[in-house]
Amino acid sequence: MSGVKRDWSGKLKRDGPKPAHPAPARNAFTPMFERLRDELDEHHDRRERIVKLSRDITALSKKIIFSLQRVRKIEPQLPKNIQDEVDARLAEIAKLLAALAPEIQGLNRYRYSRSLMCLEELVEALTFAHYLKTQTLIRYEDLCATVEDLTRQGIAAVATSSEDQVMTDAADGPKQADATKPDPPATVSLTQDDYLYGIFDLTGEMMRFATTTLALTGVLAGSESSTSGDEPRTILQDMHDLGSFFEMLPVGGGSRFQWEKKLEVTRQSVQKVERLGYDWIIRGSEKPKGWVPDLSALDQGPPEEDE
Amino acid sequence: MAPMIDPALFEQLKSKIEEDASVRKELDQIIDELNQHVSFTQGILSRVHSTPRSKYAPWLAQVEDGIKKEVETVGKLASFASQYPYYKYNHKWTRTLQDAISTALLCAWLGGLSESTKPGDVGRLLTLEDVGAIFSVPVNLKDRDAFHITIEEYLLGLISVVDDLARLAVNSVTLGDNALAVQISSFIKDLHAGFQVLNLKNDILRKRVDSIKYAVKKVEDVVYDLSLRNLLPQGEGQ
Repeated sequence: MSGVKRDWSGKLKRDGPKPAHPAPARNAFTPMFERLRDELDEHHDRRERIVKLSRDITALSKKIIFSLQRVRKIEPQLPKNIQDEVDARLAEIAKLLAALAPEIQGLNRYRYSRSLMCLEELVEALTFAHYLKTQTLIRYEDLCATVEDLTRQGIAAVATSSEDQVMTDAADGPKQADATKPDPPATVSLTQDDYLYGIFDLTGEMMRFATTTLALTGVLAGSESSTSGDEPRTILQDMHDLGSFFEMLPVGGGSRFQWEKKLEVTRQSVQKVERLGYDWIIRGSEKPKGWVPDLSALDQGPPEEDE
Repeated sequence: MAPMIDPALFEQLKSKIEEDASVRKELDQIIDELNQHVSFTQGILSRVHSTPRSKYAPWLAQVEDGIKKEVETVGKLASFASQYPYYKYNHKWTRTLQDAISTALLCAWLGGLSESTKPGDVGRLLTLEDVGAIFSVPVNLKDRDAFHITIEEYLLGLISVVDDLARLAVNSVTLGDNALAVQISSFIKDLHAGFQVLNLKNDILRKRVDSIKYAVKKVEDVVYDLSLRNLLPQGEGQ
């Protein structure tokens, strides 16, 4: 609260906006403006709800990414404790997506796309998890399907929990089920831009992961050399692939400025991993087992307690 | 083992981006065309400041011709843009469309675009629905994803008209049409009250609405000058 406001004669002024103007007098245009106001309010309220959901989804996605950065090795199964953390966050995200879905159908998908930065963050988390398990980049359709599945799980979870809480009388129960059946529930759709910008960010996570794993295990992350027949592939080759992938693509959606900025960050990440690969080859063989390199010059995650 | 990036994925993304780029190019062309018609019509409309009311009829006919061209191009834009998500590209044409809406609003206010009013019968405000009917496009669509005129576009177009009318109030006095200045004054004051009904967020609409008060002040000053000198038409003023 700020100080007390007084008018020129020292009398206390009442709170509230513009006390000098009482409700403007009605005129021929008032009804029209009132109609437009209601429409605009609907839009503003929806955007507010979307922004809130988006913020929560972003925060949870970031937590997933932090958990994933504690992985030390690319392998088909994430360590159980990390998988549990990821699953728990995803379950929360699913519920938020379920709430978000009806707000961004049809016309409204692109109307609010600027308030939906959370989808990029979610793409980053999901593609990173996929990479750590399979060492491949998940395809666009597959990721769309994943997000739609998540939304459906969220809708189901919200439905069951509300059934638990509210004791619906017998007459209401089946009617609701009928009402939802003909229309498949709305899901969240990813745009190609969400996907591409999410992958830009993925390269940063991969760089961090490569740095940490090399520092702590002394091995550049990659496929096990025991994989029969094929040549093993390291994260450095994957980074090179991603780098060329973006260099070869025409400038995508969004603004050119934004695209170039992301591309530049990706280039830097690729080069950081290149340096790691070099260090690993040149010094890796000399280094006594258990020796930990000096990490001060490398970009690395927050200090971690290792098992 | 599987490659890092599925080669098909790259081709798919690339062709999508190229498709998007060609849509933008096509839109740019249509919007350029619309822009030409709009600025031509705005040019003719600017003669309002030097045209006495008795000579509105032939002049407004020219304005209406300009608006007809705008309507044609908006039709082209609507049928092309409706193939794609509306809000994906809306930012490209929204400014031009606002200006087109302004020309129609001002023309109608001065008595054009109507069978029932004669040129010079001022004061008719087209509603959002009227504007949609003139451009033969839907307005404020909510149930499907197609081209339409939004509420924001209508309101922003209307604010430009307010600025134009404030200027006209000054010039109408110079042309000896004091009654027009008074009519403009009461119209702008009513609109100002109307805009105050809206709950605005901190966006472009808010910024533009804030500017209306300067128009109100400008016309009030004109009316004040007239009243001081007893130049108000009979039955007007206090």
